[in-house]
Amino acid sequence: MKDGKNIVIVNNNQNELAFLGKITASTTHEIKNVLAIIQESSGLLEDILAMSESKDYPHKDRFIDTLNRIQAQIQRGIDITSNLNHFAHSPDNERSDIDFNDLIKNLSMLAARFARLKKVMLITELSDVPLIIETNSVQLQMNIFGAIEIILNHIQDGTIKLIPDKQDTQMILQLYYDLLTEEQFNCITTCKQWQELESRLLDLGIRILLHTKR
Amino acid sequence: MDELKILLVDDEQEFVTTLAERLEIRDMNVFVAMDGETALTIVEQKLPQVIVLDVMMPGINGLDVLERIKSIDSRIQVILLSGHGSTKDGIKGLKLGAFDFLIKPIDIDELITKINEGWKKYCDSQ
Repeated sequence: MKDGKNIVIVNNNQNELAFLGKITASTTHEIKNVLAIIQESSGLLEDILAMSESKDYPHKDRFIDTLNRIQAQIQRGIDITSNLNHFAHSPDNERSDIDFNDLIKNLSMLAARFARLKKVMLITELSDVPLIIETNSVQLQMNIFGAIEIILNHIQDGTIKLIPDKQDTQMILQLYYDLLTEEQFNCITTCKQWQELESRLLDLGIRILLHTKR
Repeated sequence: MDELKILLVDDEQEFVTTLAERLEIRDMNVFVAMDGETALTIVEQKLPQVIVLDVMMPGINGLDVLERIKSIDSRIQVILLSGHGSTKDGIKGLKLGAFDFLIKPIDIDELITKINEGWKKYCDSQ
């Protein structure tokens, strides 16, 4: 941007993003500490129950089932906070080398709740090799999330599969929706928002392709 | 051979005391410190052979504590703990002489395996 006023606005936006990222990353660290304490406390309870002289104390199965549920939810919390921590570090550098595989895996987990509200499941099929690209990670995630949101606005139920790929030198994001009708496909791909996203993603180095069932 | 003495260092009191209790249930001899200064005092007084050390602590941070522990006795084996998924701290710590690196929350069995490996390495370096 040539005019000085716009440069100030861009810098302010970067500062705001950096601030949000810093606070979020630090908070995820705190949440992880909380999860670690819950994990050790539930582990200690398990240890104490295992020490019980009688191998058949009252409600043993219910204790064990409940402890297993706590452990499963701790793991869920760890996965969510790890993804959020990763996401919060996105604004650390305006442009950086990222692995497109990692970005898609992380983003699909963070977007899972939005999909679940439409009874849609997001799954990924990652490349066997790293897909390194130098780009603006925040803008890339924002635009891919935007693409997922547009699709979700047109559908209900089913599964969207996200496949990061590279053909020759071009990075590609293939999106497969198993229940996609021709009408939905036309509606999505001809809408102005989608076409603008396609163009912005190309500027960021990614070609996005929507397909029917694979 | 001396008895294995473990020092746990973490500023999260609930975490470190609960973890210590779990290790004690498994008949391990455990000391606890909630900051770097206390940890260094215990190192000099109690001579633990294996230390589980949080990287991010108020006051002297874990990596600085690691360097000072190694200058007191290079045989002491230090397992670093971090809440971050990033391996940056781990690589830095390994370069400074840490034995290994674990991400919080930790699996107790994995921690015990690492502690025993550290203990073996300490004994081999005698």
